[in-house]
Amino acid sequence: MNKISKNKNSPIGGWGAVLFLLLLGSCRDVLQPKPIDILADQFVLNEPADVQTVRLGAYTAFRGTTSPNQGVSAQWIMAGDFTADYTQANGTFTDYQELANKQLTAANGVVEALWGGIFNTVYLCNFLLEGLPKVPGVREAELKTVTAEARFLRGLANFIGVSTYGGIPKITTTNIDANKIVTRTTKEEILASVLADFQAALTDLPNGRVADGPAIFAAYATKNAARAALARYYLYQKNWAEAARFATEVINTRNYELVDYQAVVQQDFTKESIFEVGYTLFDDPATSSFSMNNILVGRREMIPSNQLITQLTSRDAGERQLTIAFDPRNQRGSDNGWTVQKYGTADQNNNNNVIFRLAEMYLIRAEARAQQARIAGADGALADLNVLRTRAGKNITNPAQKPTLISSATQPEALTLIERERVYELAFEGHRWYDLVRTGRAQAVMSAFSPNWNVKYETWPLPQSELQRNPGLGAQNPGY
Amino acid sequence: MNRLLILFSIAFCTWQAAYAQTRTVTGKVVLATDGAPLPGATVALKGSSTGTTTDADGNYRLAIPTKGAVLIFTYISLSTQEISAGNRAIINVEMSENPTLLNEVVVTGYNSTQKKDILGSVTSISAAKFKDIPVAGFDQALQGQAAGVQVAQSSGTPGGGVAVRIRGNTSISASNRPLFVVDGIPVFDPTNQERSGRSFGGQNDNTLTFINPNDIESMQVLKDAASKAIYGSRAANGVVLITTKRGKANSRTSVTFDIQRGVVDIIKKVKLLNAPELLQLQREAVKNAGQDPDKRGLIAGVTDGVNTDWLDAILRQGIYQQYQVSASGGNDKTRFYLSGNMRDEQGVQLNNRFTRYSTALNFDHKATQKLTLNTNILLAFTRNDRVKGDNFLDGVYSGAMKSLPFYAPYNEQGELYSPSSANYAGFPNFNPVGQAVLPRFRTFGAKILAGVSAQYEIIKNLRLNSKVSLDYNNSEEDQYEPSSTAIGGFLPSVGGRGYGVYITNTTYTLLNSTTLTYNFNLNDKHHFNTMLGGEILQTRGRNSSASGRIFPSDDFTYISSSGVQDNAGSGANLNGLMSVFGELRYDYKEKYLATVTTRYDGSSRFGNNRRFGLFPSFSLGWRISEESFIKKLDFVQDIKLRASYGFTGNERIGDFTYLGTWSASTYSGATGVSPSNLNNPLLQWESTREANIGLDASFFNGRLSTIFEVYDNLTNRLLFNQPIPRTTGFGGFQGNIGAVSNRGIEFTLSTVNFDRSATKGLRWNTDLNFSHNINKVVSLVDDKPIFRGYTADGVSNTNVILPGYPLGTFWGLKFLGVDAATGNAIYEDKNDDGRISPDDGQVIGTAQPALIGGLTNRISWRNFDLSVFFQFSYGNKMLNFSNTTLLNNGVNLENNQVVAALRRWQKPGDITDVPRYELNNTFNNFHSSRFIEDGSYLRLKNVAFGYNLPTRWLNKVKVNNARLYATAVNLWTLTAYSGADPEVSTLDGSTAAQGIDFFTLPQTRNITVGLTVGF
Repeated sequence: MNKISKNKNSPIGGWGAVLFLLLLGSCRDVLQPKPIDILADQFVLNEPADVQTVRLGAYTAFRGTTSPNQGVSAQWIMAGDFTADYTQANGTFTDYQELANKQLTAANGVVEALWGGIFNTVYLCNFLLEGLPKVPGVREAELKTVTAEARFLRGLANFIGVSTYGGIPKITTTNIDANKIVTRTTKEEILASVLADFQAALTDLPNGRVADGPAIFAAYATKNAARAALARYYLYQKNWAEAARFATEVINTRNYELVDYQAVVQQDFTKESIFEVGYTLFDDPATSSFSMNNILVGRREMIPSNQLITQLTSRDAGERQLTIAFDPRNQRGSDNGWTVQKYGTADQNNNNNVIFRLAEMYLIRAEARAQQARIAGADGALADLNVLRTRAGKNITNPAQKPTLISSATQPEALTLIERERVYELAFEGHRWYDLVRTGRAQAVMSAFSPNWNVKYETWPLPQSELQRNPGLGAQNPGY
Repeated sequence: MNRLLILFSIAFCTWQAAYAQTRTVTGKVVLATDGAPLPGATVALKGSSTGTTTDADGNYRLAIPTKGAVLIFTYISLSTQEISAGNRAIINVEMSENPTLLNEVVVTGYNSTQKKDILGSVTSISAAKFKDIPVAGFDQALQGQAAGVQVAQSSGTPGGGVAVRIRGNTSISASNRPLFVVDGIPVFDPTNQERSGRSFGGQNDNTLTFINPNDIESMQVLKDAASKAIYGSRAANGVVLITTKRGKANSRTSVTFDIQRGVVDIIKKVKLLNAPELLQLQREAVKNAGQDPDKRGLIAGVTDGVNTDWLDAILRQGIYQQYQVSASGGNDKTRFYLSGNMRDEQGVQLNNRFTRYSTALNFDHKATQKLTLNTNILLAFTRNDRVKGDNFLDGVYSGAMKSLPFYAPYNEQGELYSPSSANYAGFPNFNPVGQAVLPRFRTFGAKILAGVSAQYEIIKNLRLNSKVSLDYNNSEEDQYEPSSTAIGGFLPSVGGRGYGVYITNTTYTLLNSTTLTYNFNLNDKHHFNTMLGGEILQTRGRNSSASGRIFPSDDFTYISSSGVQDNAGSGANLNGLMSVFGELRYDYKEKYLATVTTRYDGSSRFGNNRRFGLFPSFSLGWRISEESFIKKLDFVQDIKLRASYGFTGNERIGDFTYLGTWSASTYSGATGVSPSNLNNPLLQWESTREANIGLDASFFNGRLSTIFEVYDNLTNRLLFNQPIPRTTGFGGFQGNIGAVSNRGIEFTLSTVNFDRSATKGLRWNTDLNFSHNINKVVSLVDDKPIFRGYTADGVSNTNVILPGYPLGTFWGLKFLGVDAATGNAIYEDKNDDGRISPDDGQVIGTAQPALIGGLTNRISWRNFDLSVFFQFSYGNKMLNFSNTTLLNNGVNLENNQVVAALRRWQKPGDITDVPRYELNNTFNNFHSSRFIEDGSYLRLKNVAFGYNLPTRWLNKVKVNNARLYATAVNLWTLTAYSGADPEVSTLDGSTAAQGIDFFTLPQTRNITVGLTVGF
């Protein structure tokens, strides 16, 4: 502004020249400003130093971020627990009322968010798989490891997708135009691709170093994480021998130990964790829609169902009762006063989502062995159950209150015991609904739980918005 | 106002037509606005053929009779004056434009022209039309004043958002707000998130309230391509030009004081159930679900032992006050206008208050015959004490609507119930009184709007004008929620023990615009008016935020004292625009007129090869009244037919959306990158093709004037966040897909129905305008519905964008009634598959009105004046989304219900429109046409009554003029809408999801008295 007043008496030529220079000189600045705090596509994966940042982006995509509200881990836990008999709605969010009251619709926000998270993770993995070979100067070892991590995460995302929605599109490129018009792939084909991903990951993933501590060792994919994934994969496919083999391999590495159950409930990154996606104070989802803490503790949109409370407070649950806690101040109306404890706030150091931990390996092996009619004995199903029951009674001083150890059972009894043990041990870690569906027990258990239950709820609907945006997806899942 | 007084005093002068001897009178005729001499003005002796014209310096000399001479001064485009000579030998005259006449000078973008020569669609609104109304911002003052301009205040929150739409909605996701230009400076008018760092549940802080409406001289609303294409790139939503007051040349310094004080009340309280009624309803809902209400503790005489009216508890009568002092004056070289203002309004919610301090200085100096310098400086500082609103669970008004009457705000000791109290209701029944009075949500705003300009006349009629200006905006949000509030104490995931937030936001725009104008005539018949200009604009922003938790006690409320500071950020942004533009106006004998304007704009928001856009416009006019066959008709003053065609643009989207970008993300303490945006190198200007035909006519000495307009606009290449299947890994990207059309007619009629003002008798005039706009989405990427608005129960969303339907279309199930046998809702099974699913969703209404308008009647008699202003909207639907909670059929028992619940279905055979209540049954509460209501309304928006104190009293105390007045705003509303107010919109600024009432605070009724004293 000073310039103008100084020039007020200068001849017109001066004015014009000044303005002309001003115009020319600032053209580039004005019209082509450099982006601030964001990175344009072409700079994302073009030098070796970028590999790690994009790799972290893939883990972030799987874990989930608050904005955009995507991710897989939290919604997957919600699918596993909220679709089943663990919870009752206690809030105002329709998404959760629908899940708890067994009135799930294709318009449900969690249904759409999990779907979006799965394919966002797949996109990042494919971005890495396509881009890595083109980055000059990446060390061979790093190339192998990161490729394996991408395949592990992609396999896991697709595995969750196929378990939840049935057949889903198989996405193997980052081609946006092609991926807009994809069709559904059969369940079998997706499962085959999941298996290929897991197996490739197992070959090239590192063993990891226990000495790094669980915050590193369990936060990133290792060979054991791939084995754990394969153990669960084969369990779901009823390939009992392979399920037992991979579970045993994980157990036998002795990299993990069964910690006090209280630590499982209240701490992040215990020595039991095989793969756990971590938040810190800074990226904690806090009050966002897919924060487990917000839904279970902050807003208490979902509270434990009465029948789950009965199970978790039984003698055989032992210390696993700590999964839930009672506060009389909350008890009123339909609110039973109980709150899930497994997901704390950021500064309680208890806000991570655990994907695989050692106890599940014992349960997978127990079930696989029971299915193979190996019930009793040192390598029988009951031995694995008793390992967990012993842990669950470790800090209970009165022997009469410790969970009972089981010495004999028939095969059906053993399978029932294992089903119940999975409730005690893994409640609110995303397993229940998938367990009931894969064991064929969903109809029996869920019909008793809710009059609204319908066989259609054994798979989730495809998101309504997705069917509208891509008619190539074809028909909605039956019943929705 | 002053002009009017002059006119009145002239008109009242009496004269006698008697001649005797002659004498000579001399004088100088100047232009009132800047004191420039008027060469060629005619000075005539009334009742004779004697007369002369002024010379090059405006001087005249004329022989007149010694007694009773009356001089008539006339000059083209200025109002004629008759002056009684009396005994004076020197009669100097200031001539001014008459604002009610065709010669009114209208600012048109970078230029100005006379009203009679305008070829575009322009509505002028003078300060007189809103001077008594206690509006916070000029956007509110536009309401109902101009055809084709739709203004709705989004809520009754002081300093809150106002939606202004000119000729419908042109865009889906880019901003639909018009461009506001104050004295040539486009002002910062952010979309929702840009200014306020933290969401307040739909209600935003409105930056336009920084500009004091009392400093405004006039507003021009530019509606068609001919008038606004000169603003090219940003003009598609219309342009509002604001001219502030300036001093007048050769006028004595006048000082004016204004005082306004008043009270503010809510216009309507929604009727909710009291405790016994609600208890009975809840017991019934539980029984209907096959459960025992006693077991849930719903016991008559116990549960309803407390009966709190929460709305009464959080509402109050607010006090409004405004004080202003202004001074203006000038000599032949220098003119000034100066004002200082303080405005303070308490909201009707406890603890809600908006205060503004502002000052303005306009200064003009004529340095030489050729060089003029001007400056305008506006400084404003605001403080907004906000409370959380609308869809916030812990909002104040929303909390009061929802909270059960079974709880009380205070315990027996008179202390507020808080999360640490034994009987705190807790989620979702937070104590709304505590939520109002305990937190600190202060938004401090500062604005500097300053410009310096110079005009230089290079040769005669060739003028160079250059202006450098700054629009600087700063906001700081200082917030603390103590442990006695929901966030601060109840939700450990957020606050735990206290929650403090501090956000700063600074955005400033630097602008240089330079124009060269040249006027010339050929043969005195062909008039040319040309203009060429260039403009550079750059906007930069900086922001920072921090939050803290775990405070030692509620005595410590700033983040430095917090135990955990876990969320901090800072950032910057910038964008720029470079343009050249030109205008050529031509007329032949002021009878046939034509204008061509073009603007060529480059914006930083688009990809390399798509950066520039060309926005031309053409217009033609025919002043039929200049034709000789019409000239014969005495009663016709003016008839003008005009047509325009042109293109305008829109670039109001985020920065860098054309780039595929990644942003930082963290995983387990390590930092990586995540994709944030898909690239679109083809991203380009949204462009609106506009065609307009208008007819202006004025009859009977201006006592009847009318404007009729028809327009047809088509917006192409919509800037639209285009949804794509999530199988791509993304939800959508910024694209240019689709088209929206707006077609409409506008009608304005101004009449002087009765006029005896010359004898201080009755004068009554009427302004009426109405407009009809048809908004339609013409095409999108495909014909699949795109859902917007809130997610809804039973269907995807509350709103939809569909080709063939307007923006703001509501979506849901079609409610057919209540089954008299079962009491359940009946919905239309649209796809006939035998069940109700989201696939049965359909269009259930639109928020677009069929007809909007305003009617103002002004009556003056002696020293009294009265103005009555009605405003209406017809044919628009409202979504009463609050009722999905407040008439929820027993989905949960956590919320109070509206009285409509009393007419619910109770037993077989009941014929009603409210389904039965059954606990946990979501079916009856599915989102359906049951919640869509007629939002038409007729509102007595404003009544003002004034009294000008008689001059003979005032002269004794050396007061020039004094006026006492009273106004009432929102006094009366006629509507069928069952909610509190049909004018509100919870998603302030949203186009696709407008007209949703979701616990939105209704408008307020303001009753104000004021006094204006001029010295």
